[in-house]
Amino acid sequence: MTPQDRSRDVVQGTLDMLVLKALSLTPMHGWGITNRIGQITKGVLTVNPGSLYPALERLQDRGWITADWDTTENGRNAKYYSLTAAGRRRLGTETESWRRMAAAIEAVLRTT
Amino acid sequence: MNLAALLRRRLRALFRRSAVEREMTNELAFHFELEKQERMRAGASSAEAHRAAIHAFGGVDHVKEAYRDARGTRPLENLIQDLRYGVRILRRNPLFAAAAVTALGLALGAALAVFNVVNGVLLRPLPYRDPERINIIWLAWRWDDGNVSQLPLSSGSYSDIERDSRSFDAMAAFRAWPYAIAESPDAEREAVAGARVTPALFDVLGVSPVVGRAFTRAEAVPGGPNVALISHDLWQRKFGGSRDIIGKRIYLGDAPFTLTGVMPPGFAFPRGAELPAPFQFGTRTDVWTPLVFESSDVSNYGVQNLVAVGKLSERCGTGRCSASAAQAELTTVLRRNIPLNDQPKSAYKLVSMAEQAAARVRRPLLILLGAVAFVLAIAAANVTSLVIGRVHARERELAVRSALGAARGRLARQLVTENLVLCLLGMAVGLTLAFWGTKVVLLLVPGSLPRADDVGFDWRVLSVAGLLALIAALGFGVAAAYAARLRFTRAAVSVSRTRRVLVMTEVALSLILLIGAALLTRSFISLQQVRPGFDPSNALTARVTIPLVGRPQPLVDGARWSATFDHIIARLASAPGIVAAGGVVTLPLSGAFENGGVRPVGKVYENGRNPSAQVQIVAGDYFGAARIRLVAGRVFDASDDQSGRASMIVNRKFAREHFGSEADALGREVTALFEWARDRPPRVIVGVVDDVKTVSLDGDAPPQVYVPLSQLPAYALTLVVRVSGADPLAALPLVRQTVHEVHSSATLKEIRTFESVVADSLAPQRFNMTLIATFAVLALVLAFVGLYGVLALMVAQRRREIGVRLALGATPATVVRALLGEGLRVVAVGVTIGLAGALAVTRVLSSMLYGVSTTDGSVFAGAAAFVGLVAVLATWIPARRASQVDPRTALTAE
Repeated sequence: MTPQDRSRDVVQGTLDMLVLKALSLTPMHGWGITNRIGQITKGVLTVNPGSLYPALERLQDRGWITADWDTTENGRNAKYYSLTAAGRRRLGTETESWRRMAAAIEAVLRTT
Repeated sequence: MNLAALLRRRLRALFRRSAVEREMTNELAFHFELEKQERMRAGASSAEAHRAAIHAFGGVDHVKEAYRDARGTRPLENLIQDLRYGVRILRRNPLFAAAAVTALGLALGAALAVFNVVNGVLLRPLPYRDPERINIIWLAWRWDDGNVSQLPLSSGSYSDIERDSRSFDAMAAFRAWPYAIAESPDAEREAVAGARVTPALFDVLGVSPVVGRAFTRAEAVPGGPNVALISHDLWQRKFGGSRDIIGKRIYLGDAPFTLTGVMPPGFAFPRGAELPAPFQFGTRTDVWTPLVFESSDVSNYGVQNLVAVGKLSERCGTGRCSASAAQAELTTVLRRNIPLNDQPKSAYKLVSMAEQAAARVRRPLLILLGAVAFVLAIAAANVTSLVIGRVHARERELAVRSALGAARGRLARQLVTENLVLCLLGMAVGLTLAFWGTKVVLLLVPGSLPRADDVGFDWRVLSVAGLLALIAALGFGVAAAYAARLRFTRAAVSVSRTRRVLVMTEVALSLILLIGAALLTRSFISLQQVRPGFDPSNALTARVTIPLVGRPQPLVDGARWSATFDHIIARLASAPGIVAAGGVVTLPLSGAFENGGVRPVGKVYENGRNPSAQVQIVAGDYFGAARIRLVAGRVFDASDDQSGRASMIVNRKFAREHFGSEADALGREVTALFEWARDRPPRVIVGVVDDVKTVSLDGDAPPQVYVPLSQLPAYALTLVVRVSGADPLAALPLVRQTVHEVHSSATLKEIRTFESVVADSLAPQRFNMTLIATFAVLALVLAFVGLYGVLALMVAQRRREIGVRLALGATPATVVRALLGEGLRVVAVGVTIGLAGALAVTRVLSSMLYGVSTTDGSVFAGAAAFVGLVAVLATWIPARRASQVDPRTALTAE
């Protein structure tokens, strides 16, 4: 397993932002996050488990999310990830810088 | 999340690995389940959904690996796994593990013990504040023969520089002062090492009392109070660490002193071994009293008896204060104050306190470090050889793991890690041995190794230990990996060639060490055969000190001192079992000696030449008690008393140097410049005695003059008592009782047989010889084991071939001869390299050898023959075993 595999589906770097965004409404388990990103983007972006779980570990290391075991509505045990205050701040800065970047690229594309 | 939380996550991943793994499995199973349910909700059958889910999931194990990698503990996990594997491998080969750990442990133990001492004596900062700025201030005096001596300061010159110099933050002077301490006037006195110090000493060193206070400048004035400080050790020992004693009275000699404070634990400045021996500081100083300058002292330039110490200022004017700038400044002060014609001969010299302590022992210590590095190299070669041998035995396992897909780098890392286990075990054994070894090393030189108290494990020793273990692990690992690669690619030839080279190195290095040890031993034996000019057998020596009140005043109290000693000696001389009794102020070979200027009357010396001689003040029948041979004239007798003609006895060297022959010296007159009283008449030479080695056994005796104590009194005298029995110490109770009866508060210390005084004077030589010989033996044992190991393996590899040979009619003798030949070729090359190496290396020993050249032929030949013999033995055992191989089993085996 090499690190390149992780960015097969989603541009490296944006995955973190998407996960943070997905968790910004409510705590979710791993599958929930995949599903949510799929729904929002109407299947344009897919996140496979091989990228998602390492990303979740990484985000925990940085202190942006925390994980807790909880029961689902079906009574099963699942690991729920939720955003920390630091994660929320981070989402803010990421979103903003992404927007700036997107606008810049947009501008470049428009001028030609 | 903060760092602590991150650490908690990592630690959990490491130490609760199974729980973390279970959670991961559950989480992924849940994810997979939902994925599958999603498909089934969309209408797929269970089997289809399962397949699709697997496809979407991308392979559970694949995901798990990515998940584990993201935990960030992977490298550590691999390491732990390798360490576990390494331990298992070692436990499966206990013989190999024991051999390697023993070799490493012994060598590391020796190396770390020596480094521990080197660190304490040479590297560690002194235990004072800003030690690098503390300097001893000497007066460098250029003698007529061009030699420069570092002399102590007179109270006059010290007062000058203390007043005028601007280069120092603080400056202090001190001198040794033997004290006898007691808690009450009638309690028994205990002789302790004391020092009189100016109060600024504690500012120079940046040390203050832990209890009470230091004495002040106001107290260190003529007519000031009797105040004293004591060491923490003495406080605990004598006063049980009681705080009540502070401000109370103690007795030093017969005088009451007020105890103002207790110095911190470990503080014992000045420590005798760090300053030249003639100053007679105790090994550790226990009592400090103020050094007081009378008004006459400020202009006294004649008596040079003070050691001065100064703390350089951080800044002088515009730049940093350097020792050389301070030296120049001090010398300018000197020029203003001394007679013009002596000026070119003297200047001030600053020696940093650390350098002062280390200079005398640096060379021997570095030589020891070099010797122990050889032992370490031999052990490393030995273990490398063993490790390569192990790789050979594990060929199959390594091949299998390689075939199963273990990357070459991963295998190499595994080999390094395995050796790390080995080296860590070796280091643990080594540190333990070093801990005890250091104690043993320090016991070999009681009181004579400077800074012995500063020796102790610290971060430097521990990091060197760790570093050595790491380097060794890396080296062995790389060697093993290299050997493994060679085995996969080429024939075994290279591997056994590597091992042979290693053994050659071991033989060569151990031969060099053995030659060094043999040279030192030869030198030590020659030293013991040196005739010192006196007969140390059957004689007891003990230093008697008459306690003083205030400063010594020989012109006032001298007659009393002299009478006391005469009385003691006369009573001893008439006691049964005593052959002769006498005394001397500076006992030969005890480290103490005094020089003084002499002017033979009627002789003219070239301009500026100032003849001097070693001065011995003697009492009673000293020449009879020490058995110093009278060559001409007579020894001192009762007529040489205070009222009699001033007399002198000289040694043969003095007689020949100044008067041509022993006989011609008799009756001649000599003006002594070391008399207490001014304007004494010249002394007449009444006798000539043999030369006596007073400073060291390996040096020549200097010109010596003897003066009777009755005419030049002293308050401390070393008794020399010759007994008729075999055990001089048996006379001790008599001596003790006699001294006590004659003078109740006189103290007795340094009680030794004269033979042990001589033996103690060889302590540095014995120290070097013992350690280097120990290392040589260790080296030889390691080399023996290494040689044996290589040969044994060679024989094992060639069992088949030997079996064939034997089956084809070779006799066991031919087989032994062939194998011996192979082994001996290796040994011969090793010995040759060793001899060449020794020729190049033993030169460093030249200053430590007496009566033997650094390239002594018989030592070289003997050592080479011995190493050869040991090597033949190491070769012969496996060779003989090989010749006893049964051809049938050898041929069917494997």
